[in-house]
Amino acid sequence: MTARAAGGRREGALGERVVRLGIALAIAFGGVALGAGYWQVLRADDLAHDPSDAGVIAATQNAVRGRILDRDGHVLATNRRGTGGALYRVYADQSLSAPLGYASSLYGSAGLEAADASELLGLGGDDPLARALAKFRTPSPRGDDLRTSLSLALQELAVRLLGNDRGAVVALDPRTGDVLALASTPTFDASGIANPATSRAAFTEALDDPGQPLLDRATQGLYVPGSAFKIVTAIAGFASGAIDAATSFPQQPGDEITGLLVDGFRVVDGHHLFTGSEVLDFSRATEVSCNIWYALAGLRSGGAGMDAAARRLGFGAPIPFDLPTAVSQLTNGGGPLPGGFADDVELANAAYGQGEVLVTPLQMALVAATVANGGLEPRPRLVTAFVSPSGAVSAVPTGTLGRVLGAPDAATIAGAMVQAVEGVDGQKFTAGAQVAGVTVAGKTGTAQLGGSGEPNSWFIGFAPAEAPTIALAVIVEHGGSGGARAAPLAGDLLRAYFAAQP
Amino acid sequence: MTQVDLPGFPRPVARPRELGLLLAMAGCLVLGSLSLGSTQAGGLALAQPAELAIYLGALAAMHLALVVAGRRVDEVLLPVVGLLGGIGLLLAERLPQDLVVQRVGPLTLGLASLQLIWLVLAFAVGAAAAIAVRSDRWLRLYKYTWAAFGLGLLLLTFVFGRDVNGSRLTLDVGPVSWQPSELLKVILVVFFAAYLAENRVQLADARVRVAGPLTLPPAPYLLPAALMLALALGIVVIQRDLGAALLFFSVFLCLFYLASGSKVDVVIGIVLFVAGFIVLALVFAHVRERVANWLDPWADPLGAGYQTIQALHAFARGGLLGTGLGAGLPMVDGHLPIPAVQTDFPLAALGEELGMAGVVAILACYLVVVARGLRIAAGAADDVRALLAAGLALVIGVQAIIIAGGNLKLIPLTGITLPFISYGGSSLLVNGLIVGLLLALSDRGPAPPAAPRRARRVRQDRS
Repeated sequence: MTARAAGGRREGALGERVVRLGIALAIAFGGVALGAGYWQVLRADDLAHDPSDAGVIAATQNAVRGRILDRDGHVLATNRRGTGGALYRVYADQSLSAPLGYASSLYGSAGLEAADASELLGLGGDDPLARALAKFRTPSPRGDDLRTSLSLALQELAVRLLGNDRGAVVALDPRTGDVLALASTPTFDASGIANPATSRAAFTEALDDPGQPLLDRATQGLYVPGSAFKIVTAIAGFASGAIDAATSFPQQPGDEITGLLVDGFRVVDGHHLFTGSEVLDFSRATEVSCNIWYALAGLRSGGAGMDAAARRLGFGAPIPFDLPTAVSQLTNGGGPLPGGFADDVELANAAYGQGEVLVTPLQMALVAATVANGGLEPRPRLVTAFVSPSGAVSAVPTGTLGRVLGAPDAATIAGAMVQAVEGVDGQKFTAGAQVAGVTVAGKTGTAQLGGSGEPNSWFIGFAPAEAPTIALAVIVEHGGSGGARAAPLAGDLLRAYFAAQP
Repeated sequence: MTQVDLPGFPRPVARPRELGLLLAMAGCLVLGSLSLGSTQAGGLALAQPAELAIYLGALAAMHLALVVAGRRVDEVLLPVVGLLGGIGLLLAERLPQDLVVQRVGPLTLGLASLQLIWLVLAFAVGAAAAIAVRSDRWLRLYKYTWAAFGLGLLLLTFVFGRDVNGSRLTLDVGPVSWQPSELLKVILVVFFAAYLAENRVQLADARVRVAGPLTLPPAPYLLPAALMLALALGIVVIQRDLGAALLFFSVFLCLFYLASGSKVDVVIGIVLFVAGFIVLALVFAHVRERVANWLDPWADPLGAGYQTIQALHAFARGGLLGTGLGAGLPMVDGHLPIPAVQTDFPLAALGEELGMAGVVAILACYLVVVARGLRIAAGAADDVRALLAAGLALVIGVQAIIIAGGNLKLIPLTGITLPFISYGGSSLLVNGLIVGLLLALSDRGPAPPAAPRRARRVRQDRS
């Protein structure tokens, strides 16, 4: 304040400029402080919890990862101390390689180990004061345990049933979305990759395997669905009002012989001579898996109707799930027709699961679960709760992905799916999925791939049909017809599941 | 003014405000050392108590020297700069000591020891300048000599210097490497201040109409300054020291505004700079790379963008309150996450360990230095002293903004130091000199005789 007196000697102009300059500098410093706020507050979470963050990497190397448990408390993943004193991951069974992934000091992490890394490593706490004081805690913090909905027994069985074939099985509880099994074959040696002593060899082996075991087929594999997709066409038809239980097409028997003429192309299908000249209704068409009937139903729903139902089921976007999912598609999206169909031929083909339709096994399991759950699609869930080292349980709520169609329509479709497994004609294809004492609903698929080789074998379904507790999707690559490989596999799985129920 | 009571024994003048602030600052550093020591030792402990004692002792010695010298100079600068230097020392103690190792005779000194030595030397230089510089005549009369000396120094570096990280900035003299562009900052400010003050009236009033309302100072007055600037910029650009170029230009523009009062000149200057920068980007690949890396470091996350990305992650890890001293900067495979953290990214390290709160506090300290410098300028006896004080303070303030902005990806990253905090001898010594000169310029002359009425009071008279 006394300096002002001295300043009085100067002419005012310079003093004023000095003040203005000071304000300009203050604004510049304020701008830098705002920049600090942007990175340290607004962007803090996504940067600091990114797997590439040095803190996450260091914690990966130093912190004690939480365990991963199955629905019955079996330990699926835990830690072992190596010769050098460093901890590394051990997994209960190789069948778990797809959902759990691996955590390796050399090769990073994958699967649930990557998706829930910050919880497993105990980086979850976001209270700034707690974090500032955390440095005075004892070293090597322990992460949260993950409690999952997986059933170790069912998971092991699913992988065993897939055997040497490539394929995937997704089984979930349609009421809650709890995933019971998420199998993908071939599996890989996740414990080998996690163990520093064998890490390099195990990873190289997995990477070089032509079966691509590192690809989680259950969530990332995209397949032509074949006739299993007819359930989506049925959902679209009922949801749009284009069809009902009594819908039939008079030209259907004739077209089975001559082919269905669409835009000058013939959609040919001749594989159920035993219905002869019978004009099929919805249930019968589903039971015998009539391509002509479904092509006509798809055309009646139209591209827009098919697209709307597919989108509501989760097509066209990643499915909200614990693991990253590939995007299922109805079309390539380039065509001029609603929904991106190129023409009615593509639409007719898509209606029975050919065309440009590509789906993930998880998506198809959700289609089955939607029908099983009265038209309400459950949100799939793998982790059911986080358990902190102190024992505090933070449950993950169940949720839904929304209502896809009304309960009566869902019941009608479920009834047709029961016929497809248990009906006189249905069991000619699908008898393998039957379980003594339990009514099974389902639909096979035999996805023609073009070119030579066996088709992909599909089955989707649920049981017990009256009050479903399990819905599933099975895909066996080059497994032949759906009835030959996927349906019996589903039957074995369901038998084991119900045998274990009290 | 500058007539001085020559030697003899000056009357000591108590500096209670400085003492109080120094004590508060010492308290902060002791707490910081305690926080760091506790993290490192796992129990209650001070980090490197001997180094802390030496550092605080050096500050106390400088305070005492100013008291004994009896000059009535600014009492806020030393504690603020002392706090910044202390934070830098804590950071140097916290980082791995083998980041910088120098052999001096039988001794092998690590990062913190070297930083402490440079800090103590810097305060010695500052104290010497604050006490010894009584006249600005030797600065103002020989402005062209100084300018020539500065440019000569740069040329010397260019011819005999050593390339470090693609920039030819360092000159090896004996065991020590110097960065002459650090000293050039002071020399240029001296030249600008003397030159602009001398031509101030002409720059402001005898303006030549260019087009419409656009006027410029007459060419004979503008040309030498522009030439001087272009020369300095040119050499600096050839040496690839873009940070220094930005710093010189910004400070020059600020001083030009102070002298001429013309906002139009400032706008023209900024436009010229932006245009010049675009030309540079078109001509020089390394400038282009730097801009591209600034716009999207994630384009090359493991190469050119690595350092920037790691720094941003460090800021993010710090969050609002930070991880606490010593608890951040996770080592991955035995390496610090940010390369060259001690020279180019100390703010990122501090941002992680002290949080946004710490970053804002550090920025506020620089703003205080700028405010004190501008205050000294406003109260200066004449134009030269005013422009000199403003220019010296701006060198510190603008440099802090440039490197902090670079660390936070607000502007392209340039390899200049964060004043008083970054490791580096040349930088610390020159910044010490700047503080010393600012203190000298703030001298309010001998205390006027006490009024008889007040003389009876017990309290020390400080007018």
